[in-house]
Amino acid sequence: MALGGSSAIHIQSSTTVPALASVPRTPSSITVHPVALFSILDHYLRRTDDQPRVIGTLLGTRSPDGTQVHVRSSFAVLHSENDEQVAVDMEYHRTMYELHSRVTAKEAIVGWYSTGSNLNTYSALIQNFYSQETAPHQAIHVALTTGAEEGEEPGVQAFVSSPVGVFPKPENCIFVPVPVRLQYQESERSGLDLLTQTALAPNSTTAQPVTSIANLDATLSTVSQMLDRVLAYVRQVLAGEVEGDKALGRYLMDTLGVGPISEKGGEDKAFNTSLQDTLMISYLANLVRSQAEVSTRLALVAA
Amino acid sequence: MAATSMAAALAASLPAPTAAPTPAAPTYEAIPASMAKVIDIEAEIPLQVVQLDGLVVTKIIKHARESSSATVHGLLLGLDLDGTLEVSNAFALPHHVSDEDEKSTKSSARYQASMLRSLREVQADDSVVGFYQATTLGAFFNQNLVEIQAIHQEKLRHGGVVIVHDLSLTARGNASFRAFRLTSSFLDAYKKSNFSTTSLVNHRLTFSSILEEVPLQVRVNPLLASFLGSLTKSTPSLLPDASPETAAPSVLPPSFSALDLGTAGLTKNLEQIIEAVDSYRTEEGNLAFLSRQIARERARADNYVAKRKEENMARVAQDLAPLPEEDVARLFKIPAEPSRLESMLLLGQIDAYGKSLASTASNNIINMWSAKASI
Repeated sequence: MALGGSSAIHIQSSTTVPALASVPRTPSSITVHPVALFSILDHYLRRTDDQPRVIGTLLGTRSPDGTQVHVRSSFAVLHSENDEQVAVDMEYHRTMYELHSRVTAKEAIVGWYSTGSNLNTYSALIQNFYSQETAPHQAIHVALTTGAEEGEEPGVQAFVSSPVGVFPKPENCIFVPVPVRLQYQESERSGLDLLTQTALAPNSTTAQPVTSIANLDATLSTVSQMLDRVLAYVRQVLAGEVEGDKALGRYLMDTLGVGPISEKGGEDKAFNTSLQDTLMISYLANLVRSQAEVSTRLALVAA
Repeated sequence: MAATSMAAALAASLPAPTAAPTPAAPTYEAIPASMAKVIDIEAEIPLQVVQLDGLVVTKIIKHARESSSATVHGLLLGLDLDGTLEVSNAFALPHHVSDEDEKSTKSSARYQASMLRSLREVQADDSVVGFYQATTLGAFFNQNLVEIQAIHQEKLRHGGVVIVHDLSLTARGNASFRAFRLTSSFLDAYKKSNFSTTSLVNHRLTFSSILEEVPLQVRVNPLLASFLGSLTKSTPSLLPDASPETAAPSVLPPSFSALDLGTAGLTKNLEQIIEAVDSYRTEEGNLAFLSRQIARERARADNYVAKRKEENMARVAQDLAPLPEEDVARLFKIPAEPSRLESMLLLGQIDAYGKSLASTASNNIINMWSAKASI
């Protein structure tokens, strides 16, 4: 799903030009893993008072043709900027990259991040530095607005750069926005759900662990609430209290009409067989557990 | 800012957990009266609860899912304050393929030291408070976990905790994190490295009394909370004829993976129970063999002693000098009683698999009835 504003340029890679294998193409879409974003936010929280923004390195993978960049993780890099100069601790960056690559060998440097939406000459200089690190590929830049400053919405934007001017100079470049999406594996989804629930909870804390049953209960009650809402709306429309939205009606028909409606008998039989299997497994599981318990107690009395 | 400077002081006063050089002598500030009660330099306030930061949750999940190896380890970093152990960061430890212990231990220590040093430079917490381990189907009992945690409980302030993350539960829509520490009775037996039957009886050890669970909380800092809020907000689509899925897209649409009716995990779970029972039987066989050997040796020793006594009685009756009573332990090598730790851990695994199977089964029953109700 798209993150950030809709101002990103969807670059149409020209298929007519034969792509030269030696020249990687410009990234046209970028995906970001949640852990990278959360690391950036944590880094921002831990900045010193005199740092207006923080920067760091993005690690990730590229599709074979170089048009898609997947940002998988990120780490903070020391830097200082004032009116006269900007300095990035390159040695620190190298050390951290070396440390990271020992655990996740597949992730390469793909670009850099900064907080705030401010793109200036220093951004161009840092971009130039990271372009050398990612060569022959282009470096990408992810700007994360934290929403902590007044008048800005939290969001994420991604850029690629292109040189500008008659003579390309490192401090001159155009940042071209590219679409950026949040990407995670389906199996990681529940971790994000846990965090969103926690974010809504009072004190922003939740007790762990949640049992599977409690989790299922929560999901079922959400479904039941949604059905109630739909039912209430449909009743209101039928009673003529509100005017029905035709589009909404079609959506409902599409969603509710997909269930398998077949003859009753076959389903009951399948249901009963499956129920018996499940009960059997439940019985077996409890049997195994009691055996284990008995066995460990017996070890104690054997003396 | 007293809290953070105290934190630095505490970190410096720790017996450096790894080879990290201790920072320059910390500058002490006067502790404000409001904080005096919650800061304990001597680690006197017992741990009540472990608090996991949102960042750590995602880091562990990502590492556990991406790693190709079966064992996934990482270190937890944070601080303790007034009985709450706040885990604010974590990093993964590289997986060792080779078994060259000496070398890999050294390089692992070097890795940890330079990682901690690097994190300190960007103002991240750099004191180790424990480690995390990923598992599948709840079976996290193994020698490795026990060994690392035993070392940690010796060296770390408050003894550290181990956070166990269950991959298969997470895939089923319930991100599971639990915090544990070793019980004192187990630690006592472990220090004497004595897991004979008598020791088990004395310490009243079963697999369920190896570890004690510490309450765990997950916390999201306000910045992350607001950011997540903006991610889950759905924005109406601009297209007039969007399909239901795309009509109001949000970055994080609601998920209902807990309602999945599939039973793919069950077979795996059953297989793993069988595997664990098999290895338990092998282990029991070994133990039985060893105890038979012990019994045999002991019988021989007893026999010898009895015979010698009889002989001496006969010699005394004939007014001869009795033969010296020789040291039996020197003549017969009675093997030490085998350690029952491994078999206890295996039983713990079997129990965990059974538990996870039972919970899956009960979930499935509910799911089936709710699916039936909707037809």
